[in-house]
Amino acid sequence: MTVAPELVTKPASAAYPRETIIAAEDLGMVFEAGSVIALEDVKFEIKRGDFISLIGPSGCGKSTLLRIVAGLLTPTGGTLSVKGEQVKGPRPDIGMMFQKPTLLPWKSVMDNVMLPKTLGGRVSKADKEEAVALLQLVGLEGFEFSFPGQLSGGMQQRVALARLLNTGAEILLLDEPFGALDEFTRERLNVELLRIQREVKATILFVTHNIQEAVFLADDVFVMTPRPGRLTQIVDVGLPRPRDIEMTKDADFNQRVFEVRDILGGTI
Amino acid sequence: MSTQGTAASTDRSSVQVGFPHWAQHLLVFAIFITIWEMSVQFNWVSALILPSPFAVVVAWWDLAITRGIIWGHFFTTLTEVLVGFIVGATFGIGVAILSAINLTFRRLVSPYMVALQVTPRIAIAPIIVAWLGFGMEPKMAIAAIICFFPMFINALTGLMQVDHENLEMFESMRASKWQIFRHLQLPGALPVIMAGFKTGISLALIGAIVGEFVSASEGIGVLIQRFSFQLLLPEAFASLIMLTAMGLFLYGLATFADRHIVFWRHADLVDKISRRMRAKNAGLAGIKPQE
Repeated sequence: MTVAPELVTKPASAAYPRETIIAAEDLGMVFEAGSVIALEDVKFEIKRGDFISLIGPSGCGKSTLLRIVAGLLTPTGGTLSVKGEQVKGPRPDIGMMFQKPTLLPWKSVMDNVMLPKTLGGRVSKADKEEAVALLQLVGLEGFEFSFPGQLSGGMQQRVALARLLNTGAEILLLDEPFGALDEFTRERLNVELLRIQREVKATILFVTHNIQEAVFLADDVFVMTPRPGRLTQIVDVGLPRPRDIEMTKDADFNQRVFEVRDILGGTI
Repeated sequence: MSTQGTAASTDRSSVQVGFPHWAQHLLVFAIFITIWEMSVQFNWVSALILPSPFAVVVAWWDLAITRGIIWGHFFTTLTEVLVGFIVGATFGIGVAILSAINLTFRRLVSPYMVALQVTPRIAIAPIIVAWLGFGMEPKMAIAAIICFFPMFINALTGLMQVDHENLEMFESMRASKWQIFRHLQLPGALPVIMAGFKTGISLALIGAIVGEFVSASEGIGVLIQRFSFQLLLPEAFASLIMLTAMGLFLYGLATFADRHIVFWRHADLVDKISRRMRAKNAGLAGIKPQE
């Protein structure tokens, strides 16, 4: 598949002005009848094809924010719009992935990947072949008819990623998807996630509490701070793509990591 | 990749002793029977109170083979248990499903469920007999009532323990309530429901026997009662052994059902199903033939 750099690299944006795909306006979220303020005055714009990392300590409201974008939670204040429409519930163009693989252990890997199609109606032969192709894309060729219980944690998340891609969503919300995996598996999956994003040209909002991971993946890092949950600063990473793990040795990369750490350090 | 070896795990203790497992069991059984036989032969216990194993075997042979009268009773009791269990399980799981999907229904029925749980259900037996008479129906009803509760509570527990992230995953895919039930809640509850099967089927057997004790003209429970009153203890013991056999058969049935319905909990079965699915879909584009 060919890569369309104008969709995923920032410098090209001057030549190809990209539209805003997600916009948050003064978002607020209050839980338990006013006693817990999860989010306050959150404002941002995300362009089509952006990779955004959302970082912050536990309790800063990053998961809440992600669920508002997913349409799983309704904000108590402000508006969130996708493609200019206010989000009123889960949408077909938005998909979500979780820290747990959330696979169905009684379904084969294939059937798990085809779940979005199963929910949408009958599954055709073309759907099956598409699922096989997606499993190839996430590096699981040959495991189509294995069951989740036979796979390692990293492989299970690959299945979850293939299932997410099979929803056909162009906005992917990832809630600490590799947070429960070991460091080596996490690094490999990060590199592969970037490759997959280049191929499917998705807009990604990626929640993490790992600063290196956040900088490695993102065009912009949204830094959030707790009590009340606020979007404190947006760090423009501005490192060239495609990226590989060698990049983590660069001075520029580490400069960005320290920058994000400094913002977080002052608030925790 | 696969996780095999649970079924055919090698037993280290038997290697050390130098005896296979079954031989150890046989030895213990032989010692037990010998002591029992000796205690009767040497009059440590009166043969009137405890019949010797040999006398029990002779009595069983007479009842099961020579006269063959025990089988009619055996299948009467078995039918009562199976019908009672199916009725009790259907109602138990049905009420659990309604309770799981409708909060108002759950709130309204829960006091009756608690009442049913704290009442010794065996005490209902005479009333059921008064209602339904002396045939097989009251025994089926008692068996059903006794196994209803564990089936209900297991099914409800299983249906209520839906993982939150799994639910969000389905919601983000805009699944309907029915789809969430059909694809997530119900299959997710199956392990707990099937565990309830094992308890339930043993309880159904108790229910049928209690029903037979209260009043009946046929069934293994009737035989045991009749033989005991006549002090024909070898025959009573022989009948009891038939009940043990029935219990083992029913438990085996529940275990078999559990293995095949909750197949994903059994590594050896998963491997087999996985290979079968691969072979069936070999024609699909992109699927490589099996190595």
